[in-house]
Amino acid sequence: MNVIEISKLTKFYGKSRGIVDVSFNVEEGEIFGFIGPNGAGKSTTIRTLLSLIYPTSGSAKILGKDCIKEGQEIRQYIGYLPSEVFYYDNMKVIDLLKYSASFYPNANKNRIYELAKIMDLDLNRKIEDLSYGNKKKVGIVQGLLHSPKLIILDEPTGGLDPLMQNRFFELIHEENRKGTTVLFSSHILSEVQKICTRVGIIKEGKMIRVEDIKTLEHTNYKKFKIEMQEAIPDEYFNMTGVSNLEVNEKAATFIFNGDINKIVEKLYERKVINLIVEEPSLEEIFLHYYEKEA
Amino acid sequence: MNIYFQELKMYARSLLYWTFGMLLTLILFMLMFPAISQDAALMNQLISKFPPELTRALGLTTLDLSMVLGFYGYLFLFILLIGSVYAMKSGMSVLSEEIRAKTADFLLSKPISRNAIVTAKIMSVLSLLVLQTVIYIIGAFIVVNLTTNQIFDKTTFLLINLSLLLVQLFFAALGLLLSVIIRKIKSVLPITLGIVFGFYVLQMLNQSLTDSNLAYITPFAYFDISKIVATGAYESTYLIIDTIMILGFTVLTYIIYNKKDMPSI
Repeated sequence: MNVIEISKLTKFYGKSRGIVDVSFNVEEGEIFGFIGPNGAGKSTTIRTLLSLIYPTSGSAKILGKDCIKEGQEIRQYIGYLPSEVFYYDNMKVIDLLKYSASFYPNANKNRIYELAKIMDLDLNRKIEDLSYGNKKKVGIVQGLLHSPKLIILDEPTGGLDPLMQNRFFELIHEENRKGTTVLFSSHILSEVQKICTRVGIIKEGKMIRVEDIKTLEHTNYKKFKIEMQEAIPDEYFNMTGVSNLEVNEKAATFIFNGDINKIVEKLYERKVINLIVEEPSLEEIFLHYYEKEA
Repeated sequence: MNIYFQELKMYARSLLYWTFGMLLTLILFMLMFPAISQDAALMNQLISKFPPELTRALGLTTLDLSMVLGFYGYLFLFILLIGSVYAMKSGMSVLSEEIRAKTADFLLSKPISRNAIVTAKIMSVLSLLVLQTVIYIIGAFIVVNLTTNQIFDKTTFLLINLSLLLVQLFFAALGLLLSVIIRKIKSVLPITLGIVFGFYVLQMLNQSLTDSNLAYITPFAYFDISKIVATGAYESTYLIIDTIMILGFTVLTYIIYNKKDMPSI
Protein backbone atom coordinates (compact mmCIF):
# COMPACT_ATOMS: atom_id res chain seq x y z
CA MET A 1 0.00 0.00 0.00
CA ASN A 2 1.18 3.51 -0.76
CA VAL A 3 1.19 5.91 2.14
CA ILE A 4 2.12 8.85 -0.08
CA GLU A 5 1.03 9.14 -3.69
CA ILE A 6 2.17 12.24 -5.48
CA SER A 7 1.07 12.72 -9.05
CA LYS A 8 2.28 15.47 -11.37
CA LEU A 9 2.47 17.91 -8.51
CA THR A 10 3.32 21.40 -9.69
CA LYS A 11 3.75 24.56 -7.69
CA PHE A 12 4.62 28.00 -8.95
CA TYR A 13 5.04 30.96 -6.64
CA GLY A 14 3.77 33.61 -8.98
CA LYS A 15 6.14 33.10 -11.89
CA SER A 16 8.97 31.53 -9.97
CA ARG A 17 9.30 27.78 -10.04
CA GLY A 18 8.69 25.67 -6.97
CA ILE A 19 8.26 22.15 -8.35
CA VAL A 20 7.21 20.87 -11.76
CA ASP A 21 5.39 17.59 -12.41
CA VAL A 22 6.76 15.79 -9.38
CA SER A 23 5.45 12.24 -9.10
CA PHE A 24 6.44 9.48 -6.70
CA ASN A 25 5.01 7.05 -4.21
CA VAL A 26 6.13 6.09 -0.75
CA GLU A 27 5.13 2.64 0.40
CA GLU A 28 3.93 1.70 3.82
CA GLY A 29 6.72 0.93 6.25
CA GLU A 30 9.60 2.28 4.21
CA ILE A 31 12.01 5.08 4.92
CA PHE A 32 12.05 7.15 1.80
CA GLY A 33 14.92 9.55 1.26
CA PHE A 34 14.21 12.74 -0.57
CA ILE A 35 17.43 14.33 -1.70
CA GLY A 36 18.44 17.39 -3.60
CA PRO A 37 20.33 20.60 -3.00
CA ASN A 38 18.81 23.63 -1.33
CA GLY A 39 16.15 25.24 -3.48
CA ALA A 40 15.47 22.07 -5.45
CA GLY A 41 11.87 21.87 -4.21
CA LYS A 42 12.03 19.45 -1.29
CA SER A 43 10.36 21.79 1.15
CA THR A 44 7.81 22.90 -1.44
CA THR A 45 6.78 19.27 -1.94
CA ILE A 46 6.58 18.66 1.80
CA ARG A 47 4.68 21.86 2.51
CA THR A 48 2.14 20.86 -0.12
CA LEU A 49 1.67 17.49 1.56
CA LEU A 50 0.81 19.34 4.76
CA SER A 51 -1.38 21.83 2.85
CA LEU A 52 0.66 24.72 4.18
CA ILE A 53 0.71 25.77 0.54
CA TYR A 54 -1.62 24.80 -2.29
CA PRO A 55 -0.43 23.19 -5.52
CA THR A 56 -0.81 24.95 -8.86
CA SER A 57 -1.75 21.61 -10.42
CA GLY A 58 -1.44 17.90 -9.81
CA SER A 59 -2.45 16.01 -6.72
CA ALA A 60 -1.06 14.45 -3.60
CA LYS A 61 -2.61 11.76 -1.49
CA ILE A 62 -1.68 10.49 1.93
CA LEU A 63 -3.18 7.23 3.18
CA GLY A 64 -5.42 7.36 0.13
CA LYS A 65 -6.86 10.74 1.02
CA ASP A 66 -6.45 14.02 -0.81
CA CYS A 67 -3.98 16.28 0.96
CA ILE A 68 -5.93 19.45 0.34
CA LYS A 69 -9.56 18.34 0.66
CA GLU A 70 -9.03 15.99 3.55
CA GLY A 71 -5.99 17.69 4.98
CA GLN A 72 -7.37 18.11 8.46
CA GLU A 73 -8.04 14.39 8.86
CA ILE A 74 -4.74 13.36 7.32
CA ARG A 75 -2.68 15.60 9.55
CA GLN A 76 -3.75 13.55 12.58
CA TYR A 77 -1.53 10.78 11.29
CA ILE A 78 1.44 12.91 10.34
CA GLY A 79 4.36 13.89 12.50
CA TYR A 80 6.21 16.80 10.96
CA LEU A 81 9.63 18.12 11.82
CA PRO A 82 10.51 21.21 9.78
CA SER A 83 14.07 22.18 8.94
CA GLU A 84 13.87 25.37 10.99
CA VAL A 85 11.97 25.14 14.24
CA PHE A 86 10.15 28.07 15.78
CA TYR A 87 7.83 27.95 18.76
CA TYR A 88 6.09 30.42 21.03
CA ASP A 89 8.99 32.08 22.81
CA ASN A 90 7.37 32.78 26.13
CA MET A 91 6.08 29.25 26.65
CA LYS A 92 7.79 26.58 28.65
CA VAL A 93 8.84 23.47 26.77
CA ILE A 94 6.36 21.27 28.61
CA ASP A 95 3.49 23.71 27.94
CA LEU A 96 4.35 23.83 24.26
CA LEU A 97 4.41 20.04 24.08
CA LYS A 98 1.11 19.75 25.92
CA TYR A 99 -0.36 22.35 23.60
CA SER A 100 0.89 20.33 20.66
CA ALA A 101 -0.56 17.14 22.15
CA SER A 102 -3.93 18.81 22.68
CA PHE A 103 -4.50 18.81 18.92
CA TYR A 104 -4.40 15.02 18.71
CA PRO A 105 -7.34 13.10 20.16
CA ASN A 106 -5.28 10.01 20.92
CA ALA A 107 -2.02 11.60 22.07
CA ASN A 108 -0.45 9.90 25.05
CA LYS A 109 1.00 12.49 27.45
CA ASN A 110 3.47 9.99 28.96
CA ARG A 111 5.10 9.76 25.58
CA ILE A 112 6.27 13.37 26.02
CA TYR A 113 8.31 12.41 29.08
CA GLU A 114 9.68 9.26 27.42
CA LEU A 115 10.80 11.13 24.34
CA ALA A 116 12.23 14.03 26.33
CA LYS A 117 14.28 11.57 28.33
CA ILE A 118 15.64 9.87 25.23
CA MET A 119 16.51 13.22 23.63
CA ASP A 120 17.86 14.63 26.92
CA LEU A 121 15.52 17.61 26.81
CA ASP A 122 14.82 19.83 29.82
CA LEU A 123 11.06 20.32 29.93
CA ASN A 124 11.00 23.22 32.35
CA ARG A 125 12.94 25.76 30.37
CA LYS A 126 11.46 28.55 28.36
CA ILE A 127 11.52 28.18 24.59
CA GLU A 128 13.32 31.51 24.15
CA ASP A 129 16.21 30.34 26.35
CA LEU A 130 16.86 27.23 24.26
CA SER A 131 19.78 26.80 21.91
CA TYR A 132 19.09 25.88 18.31
CA GLY A 133 19.89 22.23 18.97
CA ASN A 134 17.55 22.11 21.96
CA LYS A 135 14.76 23.70 19.94
CA LYS A 136 15.32 20.99 17.41
CA LYS A 137 14.81 18.44 20.17
CA VAL A 138 11.52 20.07 21.05
CA GLY A 139 10.65 19.70 17.39
CA ILE A 140 11.48 16.01 17.43
CA VAL A 141 9.39 15.33 20.54
CA GLN A 142 6.51 17.40 19.17
CA GLY A 143 6.66 15.49 15.90
CA LEU A 144 6.58 12.06 17.51
CA LEU A 145 4.43 12.46 20.62
CA HIS A 146 1.20 11.37 18.94
CA SER A 147 2.71 8.19 17.45
CA PRO A 148 2.11 9.21 13.83
CA LYS A 149 1.67 6.74 10.97
CA LEU A 150 3.78 8.93 8.71
CA ILE A 151 6.76 10.94 9.83
CA ILE A 152 7.87 13.78 7.58
CA LEU A 153 11.36 15.06 8.29
CA ASP A 154 12.63 18.10 6.45
CA GLU A 155 16.40 18.29 6.92
CA PRO A 156 16.01 17.22 10.53
CA THR A 157 19.53 16.86 11.83
CA GLY A 158 20.84 20.44 11.60
CA GLY A 159 21.91 21.70 15.01
CA LEU A 160 22.05 18.25 16.60
CA ASP A 161 25.41 17.02 17.77
CA PRO A 162 26.55 13.59 16.49
CA LEU A 163 25.45 11.81 19.67
CA MET A 164 21.95 13.29 19.42
CA GLN A 165 21.85 12.58 15.71
CA ASN A 166 22.44 8.92 16.49
CA ARG A 167 19.75 8.85 19.15
CA PHE A 168 17.44 10.55 16.72
CA PHE A 169 18.16 7.97 14.01
CA GLU A 170 17.57 5.21 16.54
CA LEU A 171 14.24 6.77 17.44
CA ILE A 172 13.25 6.94 13.79
CA HIS A 173 14.33 3.32 13.26
CA GLU A 174 12.35 2.33 16.33
CA GLU A 175 9.22 4.02 15.00
CA ASN A 176 9.85 2.49 11.60
CA ARG A 177 10.05 -1.01 13.09
CA LYS A 178 6.62 -0.40 14.58
CA GLY A 179 5.38 0.15 11.05
CA THR A 180 5.67 3.91 10.68
CA THR A 181 6.47 5.23 7.23
CA VAL A 182 9.10 7.95 6.99
CA LEU A 183 9.73 10.62 4.40
CA PHE A 184 13.20 11.93 5.04
CA SER A 185 14.35 14.98 3.16
CA SER A 186 17.99 15.96 3.20
CA HIS A 187 20.86 17.38 1.25
CA ILE A 188 23.34 15.43 3.34
CA LEU A 189 23.65 12.14 1.51
CA SER A 190 25.52 10.17 4.11
CA GLU A 191 22.58 10.41 6.49
CA VAL A 192 20.16 9.34 3.80
CA GLN A 193 22.49 6.46 3.04
CA LYS A 194 22.46 5.51 6.71
CA ILE A 195 18.74 5.28 7.14
CA CYS A 196 16.76 5.08 3.90
CA THR A 197 15.55 2.18 1.82
CA ARG A 198 14.75 4.14 -1.32
CA VAL A 199 15.63 7.61 -2.48
CA GLY A 200 14.06 10.13 -4.77
CA ILE A 201 16.36 12.69 -6.28
CA ILE A 202 14.99 16.12 -7.02
CA LYS A 203 16.72 18.87 -8.93
CA GLU A 204 15.53 22.29 -9.97
CA GLY A 205 11.96 21.38 -9.16
CA LYS A 206 11.94 18.12 -11.11
CA MET A 207 12.11 14.58 -9.85
CA ILE A 208 15.08 13.07 -11.64
CA ARG A 209 14.85 9.51 -10.43
CA VAL A 210 13.57 7.23 -7.73
CA GLU A 211 15.79 4.32 -6.91
CA ASP A 212 16.38 1.61 -4.41
CA ILE A 213 19.27 2.72 -2.28
CA LYS A 214 21.06 -0.58 -2.92
CA THR A 215 20.82 -0.13 -6.67
CA LEU A 216 22.37 3.24 -6.29
CA GLU A 217 25.15 2.06 -4.07
CA HIS A 218 26.18 -1.30 -5.46
CA THR A 219 25.20 -2.42 -8.89
CA ASN A 220 25.84 0.05 -11.63
CA TYR A 221 28.38 2.52 -10.47
CA LYS A 222 32.12 2.00 -10.00
CA LYS A 223 34.67 4.56 -9.25
CA PHE A 224 37.96 4.08 -11.10
CA LYS A 225 41.30 5.52 -10.12
CA ILE A 226 43.94 4.73 -12.70
CA GLU A 227 47.60 5.53 -13.01
CA MET A 228 49.48 4.76 -16.22
CA GLN A 229 53.07 4.75 -17.29
CA GLU A 230 52.55 7.40 -19.91
CA ALA A 231 50.39 10.48 -20.02
CA ILE A 232 46.75 9.73 -20.73
CA PRO A 233 45.16 11.62 -23.63
CA ASP A 234 42.30 13.79 -22.43
CA GLU A 235 39.72 12.03 -24.56
CA TYR A 236 41.03 8.53 -23.86
CA PHE A 237 38.22 7.62 -21.46
CA ASN A 238 35.59 9.63 -23.27
CA MET A 239 33.03 6.89 -23.70
CA THR A 240 29.42 6.27 -22.80
CA GLY A 241 28.91 5.47 -19.15
CA VAL A 242 31.85 7.53 -17.97
CA SER A 243 31.24 10.59 -15.90
CA ASN A 244 33.07 12.92 -13.53
CA LEU A 245 36.15 12.29 -15.64
CA GLU A 246 39.30 13.95 -14.42
CA VAL A 247 42.53 13.43 -16.28
CA ASN A 248 45.75 14.67 -14.79
CA GLU A 249 48.70 13.63 -16.99
CA LYS A 250 49.29 9.99 -16.07
CA ALA A 251 46.37 9.70 -13.63
CA ALA A 252 42.66 9.56 -14.26
CA THR A 253 39.58 9.19 -12.09
CA PHE A 254 36.00 8.72 -13.20
CA ILE A 255 32.76 7.03 -12.34
CA PHE A 256 31.61 4.34 -14.71
CA ASN A 257 28.14 3.03 -15.17
CA GLY A 258 27.85 0.01 -17.50
CA ASP A 259 29.72 -3.09 -18.60
CA ILE A 260 33.03 -3.23 -16.74
CA ASN A 261 34.63 -5.23 -19.58
CA LYS A 262 34.64 -2.16 -21.75
CA ILE A 263 36.93 -0.45 -19.30
CA VAL A 264 39.07 -3.54 -18.93
CA GLU A 265 39.54 -3.66 -22.73
CA LYS A 266 40.47 -0.05 -22.72
CA LEU A 267 43.01 -0.57 -19.96
CA TYR A 268 44.57 -3.46 -21.83
CA GLU A 269 45.78 -1.16 -24.57
CA ARG A 270 48.17 0.69 -22.26
CA LYS A 271 50.53 -0.02 -19.44
CA VAL A 272 48.75 0.38 -16.12
CA ILE A 273 50.78 1.12 -13.02
CA ASN A 274 48.05 1.36 -10.49
CA LEU A 275 44.33 0.59 -10.56
CA ILE A 276 41.75 1.12 -7.85
CA VAL A 277 38.10 0.23 -8.40
CA GLU A 278 35.72 1.19 -5.58
CA GLU A 279 32.09 1.80 -4.69
CA PRO A 280 31.36 5.44 -5.24
CA SER A 281 29.75 7.40 -2.45
CA LEU A 282 26.20 8.52 -2.92
CA GLU A 283 27.52 12.06 -3.22
CA GLU A 284 29.46 11.14 -6.29
CA ILE A 285 26.58 9.30 -7.88
CA PHE A 286 24.43 12.24 -7.06
CA LEU A 287 26.86 14.64 -8.66
CA HIS A 288 26.87 12.37 -11.67
CA TYR A 289 23.08 12.60 -11.99
CA TYR A 290 23.28 16.29 -11.79
CA GLU A 291 25.82 16.67 -14.50
CA LYS A 292 24.10 14.25 -16.79
CA GLU A 293 20.65 15.78 -16.44
CA ALA A 294 21.82 19.36 -16.46
CA MET B 1 -10.77 25.44 22.29
CA ASN B 2 -7.06 24.91 22.91
CA ILE B 3 -6.13 27.68 20.45
CA TYR B 4 -8.71 30.00 22.01
CA PHE B 5 -7.29 29.59 25.50
CA GLN B 6 -3.72 29.81 24.24
CA GLU B 7 -4.54 33.16 22.63
CA LEU B 8 -6.27 34.48 25.75
CA LYS B 9 -3.28 33.51 27.84
CA MET B 10 -0.88 35.24 25.44
CA TYR B 11 -2.79 38.49 25.20
CA ALA B 12 -4.35 38.84 28.66
CA ARG B 13 -1.53 40.94 30.03
CA SER B 14 -1.52 43.40 27.14
CA LEU B 15 -5.30 43.74 27.51
CA LEU B 16 -4.86 44.82 31.12
CA TYR B 17 -2.23 47.41 30.21
CA TRP B 18 -4.36 48.97 27.50
CA THR B 19 -7.50 49.01 29.63
CA PHE B 20 -5.54 50.56 32.44
CA GLY B 21 -4.27 53.20 30.00
CA MET B 22 -7.81 54.02 28.95
CA LEU B 23 -8.96 54.36 32.56
CA LEU B 24 -5.94 56.50 33.39
CA THR B 25 -6.78 58.86 30.51
CA LEU B 26 -10.31 59.03 31.80
CA ILE B 27 -9.17 59.80 35.34
CA LEU B 28 -6.86 62.62 34.17
CA PHE B 29 -9.70 64.23 32.22
CA MET B 30 -12.27 63.77 34.93
CA LEU B 31 -9.99 65.42 37.48
CA MET B 32 -10.26 68.57 35.37
CA PHE B 33 -14.04 68.36 35.14
CA PRO B 34 -14.96 70.16 38.42
CA ALA B 35 -12.83 73.15 37.39
CA ILE B 36 -14.12 73.18 33.82
CA SER B 37 -17.78 72.79 34.77
CA GLN B 38 -17.47 75.72 37.18
CA ASP B 39 -16.01 77.94 34.48
CA ALA B 40 -18.09 76.44 31.73
CA ALA B 41 -19.43 79.79 30.65
CA LEU B 42 -15.88 80.98 30.14
CA MET B 43 -14.96 77.80 28.28
CA ASN B 44 -17.97 77.99 26.00
CA GLN B 45 -17.14 81.64 25.32
CA LEU B 46 -13.57 80.72 24.45
CA ILE B 47 -14.68 77.94 22.16
CA SER B 48 -17.14 80.26 20.41
CA LYS B 49 -14.17 82.39 19.33
CA PHE B 50 -12.60 79.46 17.44
CA PRO B 51 -13.25 79.35 13.69
CA PRO B 52 -16.47 77.36 13.25
CA GLU B 53 -14.74 74.78 11.02
CA LEU B 54 -12.33 74.03 13.84
CA THR B 55 -14.97 73.67 16.52
CA ARG B 56 -16.91 71.40 14.21
CA ALA B 57 -13.78 69.36 13.41
CA LEU B 58 -13.11 68.93 17.11
CA GLY B 59 -16.71 67.96 17.73
CA LEU B 60 -17.26 70.80 20.16
CA THR B 61 -20.30 72.42 18.60
CA THR B 62 -23.05 70.45 20.21
CA LEU B 63 -21.52 69.19 23.42
CA ASP B 64 -22.09 71.19 26.57
CA LEU B 65 -18.87 70.96 28.56
CA SER B 66 -20.54 72.02 31.77
CA MET B 67 -22.69 68.89 31.78
CA VAL B 68 -20.97 65.65 32.77
CA LEU B 69 -22.19 63.74 29.71
CA GLY B 70 -21.19 66.61 27.45
CA PHE B 71 -17.73 66.66 28.92
CA TYR B 72 -17.56 62.87 28.93
CA GLY B 73 -18.67 62.82 25.31
CA TYR B 74 -15.76 65.07 24.45
CA LEU B 75 -13.08 63.18 26.35
CA PHE B 76 -14.52 59.89 25.11
CA LEU B 77 -12.90 60.60 21.74
CA PHE B 78 -9.50 59.95 23.29
CA ILE B 79 -10.70 56.74 24.89
CA LEU B 80 -12.10 55.74 21.53
CA LEU B 81 -8.78 56.39 19.82
CA ILE B 82 -6.84 54.31 22.34
CA GLY B 83 -9.45 51.56 22.20
CA SER B 84 -9.43 51.57 18.40
CA VAL B 85 -5.66 51.26 18.23
CA TYR B 86 -5.80 48.37 20.69
CA ALA B 87 -8.60 46.66 18.77
CA MET B 88 -6.93 47.00 15.40
CA LYS B 89 -3.59 45.90 16.78
CA SER B 90 -5.25 42.80 18.26
CA GLY B 91 -7.13 41.99 15.08
CA MET B 92 -4.08 42.49 12.94
CA SER B 93 -1.76 40.49 15.19
CA VAL B 94 -3.87 37.50 15.95
CA LEU B 95 -3.30 35.67 12.67
CA SER B 96 -0.17 37.40 11.43
CA GLU B 97 1.77 36.90 14.66
CA GLU B 98 2.02 33.19 13.81
CA ILE B 99 3.71 34.15 10.56
CA ARG B 100 5.97 36.75 12.17
CA ALA B 101 7.04 34.40 14.95
CA LYS B 102 7.27 31.65 12.32
CA THR B 103 4.99 29.39 14.30
CA ALA B 104 2.45 29.09 11.48
CA ASP B 105 4.05 25.85 10.27
CA PHE B 106 3.64 24.38 13.74
CA LEU B 107 -0.01 25.36 14.03
CA LEU B 108 -1.10 24.61 10.49
CA SER B 109 0.49 21.18 10.40
CA LYS B 110 -1.83 20.17 13.24
CA PRO B 111 -5.04 18.33 12.45
CA ILE B 112 -7.23 21.39 12.46
CA SER B 113 -8.89 23.28 9.63
CA ARG B 114 -7.95 26.82 8.76
CA ASN B 115 -11.54 27.87 9.40
CA ALA B 116 -11.30 26.52 12.92
CA ILE B 117 -8.09 28.44 13.48
CA VAL B 118 -9.63 31.70 12.26
CA THR B 119 -12.74 31.10 14.36
CA ALA B 120 -10.76 30.38 17.52
CA LYS B 121 -8.65 33.47 17.00
CA ILE B 122 -11.60 35.72 16.23
CA MET B 123 -13.38 34.44 19.32
CA SER B 124 -10.35 35.21 21.44
CA VAL B 125 -10.12 38.78 20.14
CA LEU B 126 -13.86 39.20 20.59
CA SER B 127 -13.64 37.92 24.16
CA LEU B 128 -10.77 40.26 24.95
CA LEU B 129 -12.62 43.26 23.54
CA VAL B 130 -15.83 42.44 25.39
CA LEU B 131 -13.88 41.91 28.57
CA GLN B 132 -12.16 45.23 28.04
CA THR B 133 -15.48 47.00 27.51
CA VAL B 134 -16.90 45.50 30.68
CA ILE B 135 -13.85 46.43 32.75
CA TYR B 136 -13.77 49.89 31.23
CA ILE B 137 -17.47 50.61 31.73
CA ILE B 138 -17.38 49.53 35.38
CA GLY B 139 -14.22 51.57 35.92
CA ALA B 140 -15.64 54.60 34.10
CA PHE B 141 -18.84 54.47 36.10
CA ILE B 142 -16.88 54.48 39.35
CA VAL B 143 -14.52 57.25 38.19
CA VAL B 144 -17.31 59.53 36.95
CA ASN B 145 -19.32 59.06 40.13
CA LEU B 146 -16.30 59.84 42.26
CA THR B 147 -15.41 63.03 40.41
CA THR B 148 -18.81 64.67 40.11
CA ASN B 149 -22.09 64.93 41.97
CA GLN B 150 -24.03 65.75 38.81
CA ILE B 151 -26.83 63.36 38.04
CA PHE B 152 -26.65 61.90 34.55
CA ASP B 153 -28.65 59.50 32.43
CA LYS B 154 -27.26 56.00 32.97
CA THR B 155 -28.65 54.60 29.72
CA THR B 156 -27.04 57.33 27.66
CA PHE B 157 -23.79 56.80 29.53
CA LEU B 158 -23.97 53.09 28.72
CA LEU B 159 -24.79 53.78 25.06
CA ILE B 160 -21.79 56.10 24.73
CA ASN B 161 -19.51 53.49 26.23
CA LEU B 162 -20.92 50.60 24.23
CA SER B 163 -20.14 52.50 21.04
CA LEU B 164 -16.52 51.86 22.00
CA LEU B 165 -17.01 48.14 21.43
CA LEU B 166 -18.88 48.72 18.17
CA VAL B 167 -16.07 50.90 16.80
CA GLN B 168 -13.45 48.49 18.14
CA LEU B 169 -15.09 45.58 16.31
CA PHE B 170 -14.85 47.56 13.08
CA PHE B 171 -11.13 48.10 13.57
CA ALA B 172 -10.48 44.56 14.78
CA ALA B 173 -12.22 43.14 11.71
CA LEU B 174 -10.38 45.55 9.40
CA GLY B 175 -7.07 44.60 11.04
CA LEU B 176 -7.89 40.94 10.61
CA LEU B 177 -8.62 41.41 6.92
CA LEU B 178 -5.50 43.49 6.27
CA SER B 179 -3.39 40.91 8.09
CA VAL B 180 -4.37 38.21 5.60
CA ILE B 181 -4.09 40.48 2.57
CA ILE B 182 -0.67 41.99 3.28
CA ARG B 183 1.90 39.30 2.56
CA LYS B 184 4.27 39.95 5.41
CA ILE B 185 3.70 42.48 8.16
CA LYS B 186 6.93 43.39 9.87
CA SER B 187 5.42 45.51 12.60
CA VAL B 188 1.76 45.90 13.48
CA LEU B 189 1.64 49.05 15.58
CA PRO B 190 2.83 51.63 12.98
CA ILE B 191 0.29 50.42 10.40
CA THR B 192 -2.41 50.42 13.06
CA LEU B 193 -1.63 53.95 14.23
CA GLY B 194 -1.57 55.20 10.66
CA ILE B 195 -4.92 53.69 9.79
CA VAL B 196 -6.73 54.63 13.00
CA PHE B 197 -5.53 58.23 12.85
CA GLY B 198 -6.26 58.30 9.14
CA PHE B 199 -9.87 57.44 9.89
CA TYR B 200 -9.89 60.06 12.63
CA VAL B 201 -8.67 62.73 10.20
CA LEU B 202 -11.49 61.68 7.87
CA GLN B 203 -13.89 62.15 10.76
CA MET B 204 -12.53 65.66 11.44
CA LEU B 205 -12.98 66.50 7.76
CA ASN B 206 -16.44 65.00 7.85
CA GLN B 207 -17.39 67.12 10.83
CA SER B 208 -16.02 70.37 9.48
CA LEU B 209 -17.48 69.89 6.00
CA THR B 210 -21.13 69.73 6.85
CA ASP B 211 -23.27 67.48 4.72
CA SER B 212 -20.48 65.23 3.44
CA ASN B 213 -20.65 61.58 2.54
CA LEU B 214 -17.44 60.87 4.40
CA ALA B 215 -19.52 59.78 7.38
CA TYR B 216 -20.19 56.46 5.67
CA ILE B 217 -16.56 55.44 5.49
CA THR B 218 -15.17 56.37 8.87
CA PRO B 219 -16.31 54.41 11.90
CA PHE B 220 -15.69 57.42 14.10
CA ALA B 221 -18.72 59.01 12.46
CA TYR B 222 -21.00 56.03 13.03
CA PHE B 223 -21.65 56.86 16.66
CA ASP B 224 -21.97 60.62 17.00
CA ILE B 225 -21.75 61.24 20.72
CA SER B 226 -23.62 64.56 20.60
CA LYS B 227 -26.53 62.83 18.90
CA ILE B 228 -26.45 59.98 21.40
CA VAL B 229 -26.51 62.54 24.21
CA ALA B 230 -29.37 64.40 22.54
CA THR B 231 -31.51 61.42 21.51
CA GLY B 232 -30.40 58.66 23.87
CA ALA B 233 -30.14 56.26 20.91
CA TYR B 234 -27.88 55.14 18.04
CA GLU B 235 -28.65 56.06 14.44
CA SER B 236 -29.84 52.84 12.87
CA THR B 237 -28.37 53.57 9.40
CA TYR B 238 -24.87 53.74 10.82
CA LEU B 239 -25.43 50.80 13.12
CA ILE B 240 -26.35 48.74 10.06
CA ILE B 241 -23.35 50.01 8.07
CA ASP B 242 -21.04 49.17 10.97
CA THR B 243 -22.47 45.65 11.21
CA ILE B 244 -22.20 45.06 7.47
CA MET B 245 -18.59 46.26 7.43
CA ILE B 246 -17.63 44.03 10.37
CA LEU B 247 -19.30 40.97 8.86
CA GLY B 248 -17.90 41.72 5.40
CA PHE B 249 -14.33 42.06 6.64
CA THR B 250 -14.70 38.86 8.65
CA VAL B 251 -16.10 36.79 5.80
CA LEU B 252 -13.35 38.01 3.46
CA THR B 253 -10.78 37.08 6.11
CA TYR B 254 -12.03 33.48 6.16
CA ILE B 255 -12.05 33.25 2.37
CA ILE B 256 -8.59 34.71 1.87
CA TYR B 257 -6.96 32.86 4.77
CA ASN B 258 -8.26 29.57 3.40
CA LYS B 259 -6.55 30.14 0.07
CA LYS B 260 -3.37 31.64 1.39
CA ASP B 261 0.01 29.98 0.96
CA MET B 262 1.92 30.12 4.20
CA PRO B 263 5.25 31.85 3.59
CA SER B 264 8.15 29.47 4.04
CA ILE B 265 10.37 30.03 7.01
